Amino acid sequence: MSQTAIRSLAAHFDEQVERQAGAPALIWEGESISYGELQGLADASHAELQDARLPEGRPVGIRAKKSPEAIGLIVACLRSGRPFLLPSIELAPETLAQLFAQAGTSQVLSPHGPRSQSAASLRALVDEARAAPETAGAEWPPAGGGDDVTFMLTTSGSTGLPKVVPLTASGVDAFTDWAADQFEIRPGTVVANYAPLNFDLCLLDIWATLKHGGCVALVDQDRATQGGYLADLINDNGVNVLQAVPMLYRLLIDVHREDGRTFPSVRHAITTGDKIPASSLAELPTLFPNARFYNIYGCTETNDSLIHEFAGLAEGNVPSNVPVGQPLPGVIVRLQQDDGTALEGTGTGEFMVWTPFQTRGYLKSSLNEGKFVTLDDSGDGRTYYKSGDIVRRHEDGTLTLEGRADFYVKVRGVRVSTQVVEQAIQEHPAVVEVAVIAVPDELAGARLHAQVRREADAKLNSLILRQHCATRLARTEMPSTIEIVTEPLPKTSTGKVDRKAVAAALERSRANG
Amino acid sequence: MDETTAKIKGFIVEEFMPDVPVEDLDDDFDLLTGGVVDSLGLLKVVAWLEDEFDIGVDDSELGPDSFRTVAAIKAYVDQARETAHAE
Repeated sequence: MSQTAIRSLAAHFDEQVERQAGAPALIWEGESISYGELQGLADASHAELQDARLPEGRPVGIRAKKSPEAIGLIVACLRSGRPFLLPSIELAPETLAQLFAQAGTSQVLSPHGPRSQSAASLRALVDEARAAPETAGAEWPPAGGGDDVTFMLTTSGSTGLPKVVPLTASGVDAFTDWAADQFEIRPGTVVANYAPLNFDLCLLDIWATLKHGGCVALVDQDRATQGGYLADLINDNGVNVLQAVPMLYRLLIDVHREDGRTFPSVRHAITTGDKIPASSLAELPTLFPNARFYNIYGCTETNDSLIHEFAGLAEGNVPSNVPVGQPLPGVIVRLQQDDGTALEGTGTGEFMVWTPFQTRGYLKSSLNEGKFVTLDDSGDGRTYYKSGDIVRRHEDGTLTLEGRADFYVKVRGVRVSTQVVEQAIQEHPAVVEVAVIAVPDELAGARLHAQVRREADAKLNSLILRQHCATRLARTEMPSTIEIVTEPLPKTSTGKVDRKAVAAALERSRANG
Repeated sequence: MDETTAKIKGFIVEEFMPDVPVEDLDDDFDLLTGGVVDSLGLLKVVAWLEDEFDIGVDDSELGPDSFRTVAAIKAYVDQARETAHAE
């Protein structure tokens, strides 16, 4: 980490505009947008914010798909010190309205202007949500005050209303400095942005880049699953830094197999958000002959907390279970055992973490119980975030992910992690992706069903897979049923395998006999 | 492949792993460790054996080792039939 004092994102962006107004800040749909032009977009939004005469200190809502205008709008909010809630645009209008009401937003902005049709209808919904008894009384400001809040992101929330995570300016500033230092982001560096605008991943690929004078090549969300488009974007713009979920790498591998394309401009390739299969990892050095490879572990609440750099992938040194890595500078890790004590030495425990970037808690403070914990015995008064991930510490100190605490199910009375089963199946070379789900069963409590996508040209059936698993899994971990398909498994908006959708499809097919 | 073995394999494949060609199932593949047949599946196998080969299976013989592989199941069937003839 650089030894200089942490610098403010907004102030440093302004500095970049002064220093290199003509340099490219963004690449969008093949066009380059300079720092000066982005400044112009921000100024226009800033003027609109002024005209709207918004009440002091109250947040605004932003509903925006990724675009230069949307980024300009966020720059304007950052510059005027205005907190803003940036939820996923894919949420249902009612859900969005509830979130905006909960955050006490005085106005919902979109780059198409406040007078657009959709903005007006959303405003009506927000007013309605505000008046509804269950959301009446916004949660703003958060515990600890709202003065220094900038971004408010939402968790991807598997059930119910997504949780609002307010981030402080100092946390964002510290993170964006770490990221730029770690991945050599400076003027002239091109960083691809794959994630949607509302994801915490953007703090690295968009915001650290704009702060430090680099150029962001924006991936159009509507084309995020088109391998050919992604390959062109990387090569046409000479992308140097790439951060994405394993799915992106999978898409690029398919492109490479088809036409042999490689991506020599990439110097840092980061995988995050999900465990990357060993079969994908093994191919990365061929695709990216000049890159270093990393796995990053983090979440919206704490931002990135661990990093692992793969050493010797090209020499065939491919770990089947990817280590989650080492703590980032300043990050403190605790593995909590079932009895509440910290694990010393080897073994497993729930991953608890404090990071210099973390939120002070959810906007709705009643949600903090059990997730943000101040430990008396740590003696430092720090509040740790309980991730819900079970992590194993090995003899050499490396940490690997065992699975989510909530992925554990009981099969015939034995605690089984569906993720451990997925991992074992994934290790078969013909397996592209897998979802293991627990199906309720009167006799066994739960039975495991595995939905497996195989390589199109591979010979794989359930017997071969069972033989493969027999040496890796306990009897209770062996799936009762295995279905092998060739089409992609359903994915969530974040590009992860959607186990719920797999379970729902399975239930439908059972209901239909 | 003898007739009994073919019948047993045919049943197991059809019932528990329809995506697998019959010839891929080895006589000595461990059906239990492989998770192909669990305790509930074992009851199905026994019911089918009783029906198909007209033999009785005593509950006390329902130890997993008698039915661990196709070869074991065939041996069980052969023995049960011999006993029936001897009586």
